Amino acid sequence: MTTALEPALSVRQVLTLDRVLAGEPEVVAGAGQLDRPVRWVHVAEAPDVGVMLTGGEMVLTTGVLLAGDEEAQAEYIRSLHRAEAAAVVLGLGRAFPTPPEVMRRAAERCGLPMVVLHRPFPFAELTEEVQSRLVRRKFAAVSLSESVRTALTGLITAGAPLQRLLDEIAQHAGCPLVVTNLAHRVLATAGERPAVDDVLRDWERISRQAGGTEGDGWIRAELGGRGERWGRIVLCGYRGDTATGRLLADRAAEALVLHRMLGGTAHSWEEQSAQSLLTDLVSGVVPARQLLPRARAAGLPVNRRTFVPLVVRDGDPAQLDRVLRMLGLSGLVAELAEGATAVLLSLARDQDAQALTAHFATRLRSESGVRRTVVAAAEPRITWEDVPAGLREARHVADAVAQSATGLDLPAVVRLRDVHLRGLIRLLRDDPHVQAFAERELDGLLCGDRHAEQDLLPVLRTYLATGRNKSHTAQLHHVSRPALYRRLEAIEARLGVDLDDFEQAASVHIALLAHDAQQG
Amino acid sequence: MSRVIRAAIFQTAWTGDKESMIQVHEQAARDAAAQGAQVMCFQELFYGPYFCQVQDKAFYEYAEAIPDGPIVKRFQALARELNLVLVLPMYEEEQPGVLYNTAAVIDADGTYLGKYRKHHIPQVPGFWEKFYFRPGNAGWPVFDTAVGKIGVYICYDRHFPEGWRALGLGGAEIVFNPSATSRGLSRYLWQLEQPASAVANEYFIGAINRVGVEDLGDNDFYGTSYFVDPEAQFVGEVASDKETELVVRDLDLAKLREVRDRWQFFRDRRPDAYGPLTAP
Repeated sequence: MTTALEPALSVRQVLTLDRVLAGEPEVVAGAGQLDRPVRWVHVAEAPDVGVMLTGGEMVLTTGVLLAGDEEAQAEYIRSLHRAEAAAVVLGLGRAFPTPPEVMRRAAERCGLPMVVLHRPFPFAELTEEVQSRLVRRKFAAVSLSESVRTALTGLITAGAPLQRLLDEIAQHAGCPLVVTNLAHRVLATAGERPAVDDVLRDWERISRQAGGTEGDGWIRAELGGRGERWGRIVLCGYRGDTATGRLLADRAAEALVLHRMLGGTAHSWEEQSAQSLLTDLVSGVVPARQLLPRARAAGLPVNRRTFVPLVVRDGDPAQLDRVLRMLGLSGLVAELAEGATAVLLSLARDQDAQALTAHFATRLRSESGVRRTVVAAAEPRITWEDVPAGLREARHVADAVAQSATGLDLPAVVRLRDVHLRGLIRLLRDDPHVQAFAERELDGLLCGDRHAEQDLLPVLRTYLATGRNKSHTAQLHHVSRPALYRRLEAIEARLGVDLDDFEQAASVHIALLAHDAQQG
Repeated sequence: MSRVIRAAIFQTAWTGDKESMIQVHEQAARDAAAQGAQVMCFQELFYGPYFCQVQDKAFYEYAEAIPDGPIVKRFQALARELNLVLVLPMYEEEQPGVLYNTAAVIDADGTYLGKYRKHHIPQVPGFWEKFYFRPGNAGWPVFDTAVGKIGVYICYDRHFPEGWRALGLGGAEIVFNPSATSRGLSRYLWQLEQPASAVANEYFIGAINRVGVEDLGDNDFYGTSYFVDPEAQFVGEVASDKETELVVRDLDLAKLREVRDRWQFFRDRRPDAYGPLTAP
């Protein structure tokens, strides 16, 4: 749906109305100016009509008070020009049998369209027709403005997300829509995907032309409030007339400002933009290649780069962003799921991805004050198409890490090879055979006995994770060694296994990993 | 034929004391070097607050000898260790009572190459610099460093095209413009003047501004540090207006030749007609 108003009437269009054509109009001067818009039609015989005009009027006259006074005729035309009238229409017959040469010359000199009617008709018929069209148009503009505003306000008060608001505006506009911050970074888009991608593909160049004219349907409105500008919305290639586009852009800007004031900050818009991009990348629903323009427009360097997909458990996106800035690293940060924040680093090809990832992770630990923050890293990718698999790998590693026994020190950066069996189990966690195996093996501890689940299970977990190191386990659980022995004996009795037997212990360990993977 | 160098600038907020401020900058230099940066410039008066918001002689203590003072020595060692060219905007004491707003330039092997002294000294509310600094008197040096020819033009200097030109004539390929400038005052100029100067002189500019509001006044330093190329295009994104940020960018110095082959400003300028500009 494209919402458009009838375009404003031009002088040329008025001259093609049936009523006017019947009057046999002839343009005798200012033929190059016929596309001027007509704001109103005014019938006036007074020689000093100019002082009553405010611009854009088509003035209809018989010239009855001008006949015989050439100076008055020329001055009449000049006064219309000064008042920025759209055109003058002279009905021949009453005062002038033929077009008066003085008026024609004066009109030609100042570029005022002058039209004579060879078969004049009552002017009232024309004013009625033109003005009803103009009023209809004006009413349509008010009505469009109101309906757009009502729709957007409704969405805002219903708590709709930014994207929903933009989709609504794009529907009215029928063209791509881009919201940027002041650095021209694209925060959000709406409209038909291929058209949006076309715009984004060339965004760098297009955005640099910003602030210029509104030609070609590029219509911008500034976003800001309380004396501070923080972004703009751009209708890209609006096909209707400029006035309607302007109206839509202004309504859209009002709505976005309101949405932001009620809902959050520009920063969160930037987060939302990164989030939708990274979520789309991970999901694989949209091919990575198609997301490249969005990534570039979001400020991520993508040409000849190495991409390092990372996922940080329990990382605060704002803090991750701060650490990236502090280290001067380019990257996008977004929370993918509760407690899992993705960071997609973009490095120059000659940079040491391994070292910089470690550097980032170490600094994150020192800045957050949380010594245990773990960065799950996928292998660096040098082609963009491999990034989604990389992000999934990092998430998989992060999930596996989350299942790790507490109390064990993990390096700041963990990779797939570091999560070993845990990674495999994580991948297989939804397999019914694995689930049945875990149930079977751990049945004695998962029988609903609170003592077993709360006291024995954690001890078993630590014992196995420490490589069956009894003193370390006792230490971590703050119990004496004899107390630990008693608990281990209880575990063995309940499970019916001998934990000193490697194969049996391994089997229980795998079952426990599978159990934990299902909980996470 | 491209000639790419990796350059860094760093914007940060006043930490509250000189030693920790120095440490923050040492860490930033290490972070930049970890990314492969070869040259780096800090913000104006980098290890202090922007004390020119007040007129208090207690801050004269921040001045020290260049190059014989401890800070230059300390960063010479760091430059050598990191193989990093460093531009250090400092408060210089030539002798008691003779103080300058200066930048020392250290080569990647730790050699002290020289200094630039800020020529234009403002005296407006929030920027009472005439209380602290004599106007610079050491000309328009261009330093031949390991990465290329570097000039420095400090803060308020940037409003005067003549110095930019002098550095261009001296062969500068990158000019660093360390600054401390406040939101209400100059925001509308910040992304206008340096890009225009980069175009006029057909070289790269690294513009640095500190961030935050300090105890000494209401100046709201708005960061947004950036590199701009000889075609007035920002190299990558402009930094945050509030947060500490290290900006590391690859600059292709071959672009100078490309742009100068297109626009022969240096050939077509008319110094013979510029006499009135130097009339006292």
